[in-house]
Order: sequence, then structure tokens, then C-alpha cells
Amino acid sequence: MEQKRPTFEELCLPHLGAAYILARLLLRSDQDAQDVVQEAYLRALKGFKGFRGDNARPWLMMIVRNAAYSWLKKHAKEANMLPFDPAIYATSTDKPLSESSREERIQQLREAFKRLPIEAREILALREIEGLSYEQLASALKVPLGTVMSRLSRARQRLREEFAGIRHTELQDGL
Amino acid sequence: MDCEEANRLLDAYLDRELDLRRHLELEQHLSLCLSCQSLAQELEEFRLLFMASAQTIKAPPQLRANVLAAVRREQAKRSFAFLRQPWVYAAAVVVLSLFLALNILLPDAEGELSRQAVLRHSYSLAPDHPLDVASANPRVVKSWLTVKLDFAPPVVGSPASGYSLVGGRVDVIQNRSVAALIYKHDNDVVTLFCWPPKKEHLSKRNHFIEGYHVRTWGNAECNYIVVSKLSDREMDEFMDSFRVHVQSGAYF
Repeated sequence: MEQKRPTFEELCLPHLGAAYILARLLLRSDQDAQDVVQEAYLRALKGFKGFRGDNARPWLMMIVRNAAYSWLKKHAKEANMLPFDPAIYATSTDKPLSESSREERIQQLREAFKRLPIEAREILALREIEGLSYEQLASALKVPLGTVMSRLSRARQRLREEFAGIRHTELQDGL
Repeated sequence: MDCEEANRLLDAYLDRELDLRRHLELEQHLSLCLSCQSLAQELEEFRLLFMASAQTIKAPPQLRANVLAAVRREQAKRSFAFLRQPWVYAAAVVVLSLFLALNILLPDAEGELSRQAVLRHSYSLAPDHPLDVASANPRVVKSWLTVKLDFAPPVVGSPASGYSLVGGRVDVIQNRSVAALIYKHDNDVVTLFCWPPKKEHLSKRNHFIEGYHVRTWGNAECNYIVVSKLSDREMDEFMDSFRVHVQSGAYF
């Protein structure tokens, strides 16, 4: 007897948390991330007929990434024109900096990440969080392998610099 | 491998994306070079910190509810859209037609009754078949029939203009004793069979059996089958008028 095909909800809902993380990393704001995740799930529903297999996560995450890009294109003016203001992107989920050292560093790292340009945020999120290989990154981003490696390198470098910068500033402020 | 090349390849090494040869070379270099080793460790810790920072991102509780609601709304919309597709309509029409056709063609209890009524009517048309009670007086016909049967049939004297009662008889349809009221209209004979319903009463139907028009009808008091060679239109006129008489109590 043929096994019943898993439903859309069964295959895709378990990845809601991961979808939100990716959207949040790409868009830097909670509300925007929620909008994009919802849009992504609706798009996934529409395309679900053509999906095969039992792990929907990679497929779903690409839909999230594309939905984030659509959103950014739509809101391009606002996103690019305004200077990055940390106050706009602060949320209630951010912990106060008076906490322990590791949590402090985590918060600073999140801040640093927000300051990166979209290409850097994207490639870091897909590599570190979604675990895409260089090959998968190359096909997902439609760039050659060499570009993947250099983009990744630059992104990591930039993140380290931003991070160091924030820590330096805060250490100075603390004195 | 020197430190410059090692630094360049460190990211790819930590990502496990180097080809085997260079991977082993770098591994070798790291075992010998402390500064590259400490850089590698730094990079690895940084990656772990980054992954931990991503894990602190928690979806707000309402997101799941919102997404589920949106998905289900869309699914509901799509199932209705499915029903609106043309082929679904076509299929429904085919199914409906088959159903109707089967209903007409397959023998059913009511159809069988009508067939028997036609039979009895046609027998009664033979010239040597007398009426049991020959009278144009509905009271006379009624009292005679009531005696012979165990029910009192409603006898309408003149169910429609041009139709007159000529008499009645007791007949049998499917082992049931029924009252038969005979009306004449010009040269046509109309037989109206009636009997009290046992369970359900007849539905309002039209039949055309072996050249005769048949009308069936029923209410709580009586089932009626009317047979004649009148035209459809004349039958309808007769039935409408007859029904009005019965419903308004204009009978004996």
C-alpha cells in the first residue's frame, strides 16, 4: 500500500523557527522578518505540488531567501537611503549588556552582523546557519565557486572588524 | 606550505571544503605553526559564537499562529478554486445525467404501480367491461365504493370543465384494492385510481407508458394515479383542477 504523502504543514511547519532566523538575519527587523516568513510560506504552499522528498528545509530556506530579496527590492529606497541606525533595529529580544561576558559578546556580534551589507549577511547566514556547502552556495547565489570563497572570506573579515569595533567602543565607553 | 598560504586557506579548511591534498598540507602546517594554530582557533571560536548568536533569535509566539492561519486560508481558497474548474463541472453534469437516466430506466416501485394502473385502465376500456357502479352522481358512486372498500375515496363530480363522472369500480393494483373513478371527456376516458397510502405517499410524477399518459400524486389521505390518452396539456389541466378540488374539500 502506497504511503500517504506528507502534508504541507507536516513538512514545512517544523522549519518555522529556522525560517524566522534566516529572515531576521537578512532583514534585521522582527516585523519585516515575520512578514517575509509568512510570504515565504504562502509561496511554498503554491509550489508544494512540485516538491519531492522528505526534507523540505533547504527548499524552504531558498524560498525564504528569495522572499527576503523581493521584500528588499520593494523597500529598497528605505533600506538603502537611510543610514544604519541601531536604535531602529533594536528589539525586546535583545538582552541588556550588563549580563555575563559571553552573552555580551553574543549581543555585540548580533550588532556587528546588522552592520554588514546584504550580500555578506546572506552568504554568512546560508553558510553558517543553513550549512550550505560551497557548491550549494554557488548554485543558490548563481555565482562561480571562486566568488563564493572570496565573498565568504570578505564577509567574515568584515564581521570580525565590526565586532572588534563595537567591543572597542563599548569598552571605551565603559571606562 | 607557508603561513601566507595557510592564512589564505584557513577559512576553507575550517569549512571542510579544501581538496584532500591541501587539507592534509594545512593540517600539517598547523601542527607545526603555533601562530597559525591560534588564528585557526580564534576563527573557529568566532564561528561558534556566531552560531550561538543566531540561536538567540527566537520567533515571536504569534508568528506560528499567523502563518498557519494564512496557509489554511489559502488552502481553503484553492479547494474552492478547484471546484470552479471547468472539468469539474463537466464531470458533475455527466454524473447527474447518469443518475437521472438510471432513475428513469431502472424499475422502481412507483413506476411499477403506474404500469399496472395503465393495464387496468386499458382492460376497462374493453366494451364488455361494465362499470361496477354507473352513475354521474358522486354521492352514489362514493357510497357504493365505500361499502366495497375499507376506505372512503374522495369523489369529485366534475374535476374540470368538460369532464364528467360516469361511474366507478373496484380494481386491484399490486394486490391492493383501489377505487377507480371513471370520467369522460369528449371521446376520451380518464380513470382515476385512488387508495389510502400505507407508508409513504406517491410523489408527483409524470409517466408515458404504452401510449397512455399517467399522472401520479399523493398526500397524507390518498394516493392517486390518473391514466388516459389525453394530451399532456389536457392531463395537466385535469390534474391541476382535480388537486384544487381535493385541497379545497370540494368533493363528496
